[in-house]
Amino acid sequence: MATSNYPDEYDKIAKTMQMYIDGSKQGKSQLMRAAFHPEASFFGYAGEQLAVGTQFLFDWIDKNGPASSLQARVVSVDIVESIAVVRLEAAGWSGNLAGSGVRMSDLFTLLKTPDGWKIIQKAFHWHS
Amino acid sequence: MPDRSTPQKTLESWKQIAAYLDRSERTVRRWEAGEGLPVHRRSHQKQDTVFAYKHEIEAWSRRRTNWPPLASNGNDGAADQPGTPANAYLSEHDAITRTVHRYIAGARAGDGDLMRAAFHPEATISGYCQGGVEYSGSVEHVFQWITANGPAPNIEPRFARIEIIETIAIVHLEVQRWSGKLAGANGRASDVFTLLQLDGEWKITHKLFHWHESSS
Repeated sequence: MATSNYPDEYDKIAKTMQMYIDGSKQGKSQLMRAAFHPEASFFGYAGEQLAVGTQFLFDWIDKNGPASSLQARVVSVDIVESIAVVRLEAAGWSGNLAGSGVRMSDLFTLLKTPDGWKIIQKAFHWHS
Repeated sequence: MPDRSTPQKTLESWKQIAAYLDRSERTVRRWEAGEGLPVHRRSHQKQDTVFAYKHEIEAWSRRRTNWPPLASNGNDGAADQPGTPANAYLSEHDAITRTVHRYIAGARAGDGDLMRAAFHPEATISGYCQGGVEYSGSVEHVFQWITANGPAPNIEPRFARIEIIETIAIVHLEVQRWSGKLAGANGRASDVFTLLQLDGEWKITHKLFHWHESSS
């Protein structure tokens, strides 16, 4: 695999993450689907319920609708050759399912593929 | 169910395991938690009981001298340390390293079943194998690969990063001196584990890996 420098890879990863953020803000899973690897998985607690699977995520995003006040911050981007970890903090979540003013911490793992960096897993924690 | 264990080859309690290693029960429990001492559990209705195989304990003792100092427990073989972590963070940290040590113990022994308990049943893996081949699939493939690879007695794992956010966590493990039928000799892997806290236990939900091309 060709060795690339960190800033270049960082910018590519940031583009992938922006798709997730845009989809979340607009409540349109279609905007974020391409950011995910076909084999991606999704784990976390939505309240007391354990949520598993990207389909759960995409359905949730669509049902939740716009979260226009969402503010996302990239806390860390760690890259080891073809794999990466991104920690995202998102505050001001709102919507049909989210309620209002909710904060979520996300740990994304990403894989570098011929089609660019893809999210292979999203693990999340809702702060109550 | 008949007891398939042979009495002279099996240690049937913490007390027996401790006596065999000539250490206190607290010390051997700590070794299981932090250093991969191979202790097995039988599930019962009220509580689990532990047992250990003498040959596994022997093998662990022999290779233990090769282990690098661990973040959670750098004082190898020293006198007993307090067994109870001093605060909630340390408890979670130790619980996470305990889970990852099950993976390490399985990798070292070449026994996929040894590490099964560390993973969520729906866990997946993805990453790049030797030769730059992209791979993703069920965690069952990890167990199969580990067993097919056989023992990798010299692996040196290092915890590069442990990040905990309430119910989720990331562990970045750097492993060098991989060996075996599939790993070849002196391989190096970077692993990123995502974990989820499930009924008070940490389970790996995803293993992301990168095999480094050998530099030789």
